[in-house]
Amino acid sequence: MNGEDPQERPEQIRNIINGLERYNPQAADILEAYLTQQCEEKFTDCASNRALLKLSPAHIPNSYQLNPDRIKDEVITNILVKAMTQFPSAQFDLALHLLLPSHTSAGPNSPSSDLAEAISKLRVLNAQLEGAQYAKFWETLASDDIYADLTADIRGFEETIRVRIAALVGQAFREIQASVLESWLGFRSVDEVKKFVVETCGWTVDDAGVVHVPKNPDNEAKKMEIREDVSIDMFSKVIRRSWEDSA
Amino acid sequence: MSSYQNGVAPARAIEDDSDVEEEALVADYKEQVQYEGVDELDQAALAQQADDLQAQLVAAAQPLDFQASLETKFRSYDNYCGLFHYILNSESGPVDIEPPTYYWAWDVIDEFIYQFNTFSSYRLRIARQGGPEEEVQILRENPNTWGCYSVLNVLYSLIQKSQITEQLAAMRRGEDPMAVAGPYGSRNLYRMLGYFSIIGLLRVHCLLGDFSLALKTLDDIELNKKAMFARVMAAHFTTYYYVGFSYMMMRRYADAIRMFSHILVYVSRTKNFQKNSQYDSISKKNDQMLALIAMCVAFHPTRLDDTIHTALREKYGEQLLKLQRGGPESLPVFEELFRLSCPKFISPVPPDFDHPEANVDPIEHHLSIFMEEVKTNMWSPTVKSYLKLYTTMDLKKLAGFLDVNPEELRSMLLVGKQRTKQLRWTDGSLLEGELVNISDLDYALQGDIIHISEAKMGRKLVDWYLRNLARTYA
Repeated sequence: MNGEDPQERPEQIRNIINGLERYNPQAADILEAYLTQQCEEKFTDCASNRALLKLSPAHIPNSYQLNPDRIKDEVITNILVKAMTQFPSAQFDLALHLLLPSHTSAGPNSPSSDLAEAISKLRVLNAQLEGAQYAKFWETLASDDIYADLTADIRGFEETIRVRIAALVGQAFREIQASVLESWLGFRSVDEVKKFVVETCGWTVDDAGVVHVPKNPDNEAKKMEIREDVSIDMFSKVIRRSWEDSA
Repeated sequence: MSSYQNGVAPARAIEDDSDVEEEALVADYKEQVQYEGVDELDQAALAQQADDLQAQLVAAAQPLDFQASLETKFRSYDNYCGLFHYILNSESGPVDIEPPTYYWAWDVIDEFIYQFNTFSSYRLRIARQGGPEEEVQILRENPNTWGCYSVLNVLYSLIQKSQITEQLAAMRRGEDPMAVAGPYGSRNLYRMLGYFSIIGLLRVHCLLGDFSLALKTLDDIELNKKAMFARVMAAHFTTYYYVGFSYMMMRRYADAIRMFSHILVYVSRTKNFQKNSQYDSISKKNDQMLALIAMCVAFHPTRLDDTIHTALREKYGEQLLKLQRGGPESLPVFEELFRLSCPKFISPVPPDFDHPEANVDPIEHHLSIFMEEVKTNMWSPTVKSYLKLYTTMDLKKLAGFLDVNPEELRSMLLVGKQRTKQLRWTDGSLLEGELVNISDLDYALQGDIIHISEAKMGRKLVDWYLRNLARTYA
């Protein structure tokens, strides 16, 4: 799965998340620093971030009283935004499952309703990415200042999303109108689209404004016949039996 | 903290440079994982009652009465803590005693987790709906009784003490596990407890909503009929249920179906030998897994084993049809089946007794996340049913058929296309897998023209042939 076991994961982090150290509240600092690194560089380690989520005050409630700043809301939202960039995948959901039930359904009396609101906003955004409603995604992103705050820590967030969308388009399309891509990639003009697809994706654009994607195994949709693989091993019992019976 | 097995990391020595706050944090954390009710006196008493130990071992595996009072539940917790504490920290080294039966270790771990599970549900219900004042008071004052960190600590400690991970690794390399078992792990009592604690961890992680960690827990256990757990029917069954469920939540439907199918076929074949009380609980889980298969098949249409297909149609025929048809009408069916078949999720923290309405049932939490993905995929069956009829199709025309606008249809097509790629296990640990195309229908877009290709399935004859051959021989 995307972002599950990145090559960039250092030895120290591997030791923490694979051992009992993952329950040590003091490991949170290291994992948090690692999250910051992920936000600045463009890779994501969802497995490590989930370990960090479980060390949040949500899971060890008393640590919150002792040290309310221990894990900030930003850490939780940054983890979610990083997981979101791995679409389409279950990463965002897997992180959500680890949050407290009270976080995902904001009640009027819930103690941290700012966080609950941020989470519900991010869920809307993620649902649009998962549902391939890319034009709506960019609209939503621009519709509320809160999104700018939530994604501020992730360097090159928009660019990351854009590259990912383009990759997914490349897996499904042989040709696509530049005007469609304009809304999907969140650009404001067809020229921006042309520049992006030529420079970043290495695709071509013709005079009619149609973007051509080179052939790849995914956008070919070739006919194929699935045949049963038959090996001698499958018959080993029968053969042995016939051998034994006749002996 | 009395010298309780330093299994969980926070109990380790504090680093020199840590500040006071951190020390307080650790101290507090220690308090949380500490086992209450075991003081020196108890320990001495335990040691004296070595004869009674057998009786205690047997008692620990006995199911608690369904209507047990809160007091009994608290006492039961203390008893477990006392017993595990004694087993893990006996002054004179490993406890020299044989488990009463082969099933004992499984039964103890199973009952321990079951009581943890029911206690958590009960406590949440009291917090949400209120209850007798004194019960609320007791629960409020003892947030760490049956706390999830205590339970995790027991399981991790048993695993560590028994060196079961090392033993299993040695077995996989074809070496003698006894060489790495250590003084504790070489005894049946510890080895069995350690082994079933791994299965227990799988379960607890899943109950807490950490599905990938749940699967990772089984890294050292190979899932096959030769595995140790397979000798205990309930353990065999439980393992596959939780592994399958975790796979489903990770959207690895092909793997989930494989797990459920394996165990359901196994049960149907051994049904005749299982006519005891165990069978009742198995038959309930059996139905749950059929419901889970129904959902997985809706996400990932595939051919099922004949026995399972028949059972599925008998049990959930109507629901399956609705799931496979998709659309908004399928949503309540997904919800219904999920509620019916999911484990009784546990919230990792004690409820808030002061704000009853702030306590959300964890099932609702996990269900709402699951339903998000259901909604994303809800149009896929409809779209696919049309695509199957054509080799090329105009996007606008299809949008007209479906009564949606072209932009919406593009999204649906992309979703359908993206979801056909799934991680599927081939070899190695459960979390590994290869990204494969799981659908027989593929398509690509050229502007507004959809090119569709359907993979033709050659007939699968080997299985049919072998089965009939076996029948003739018999």
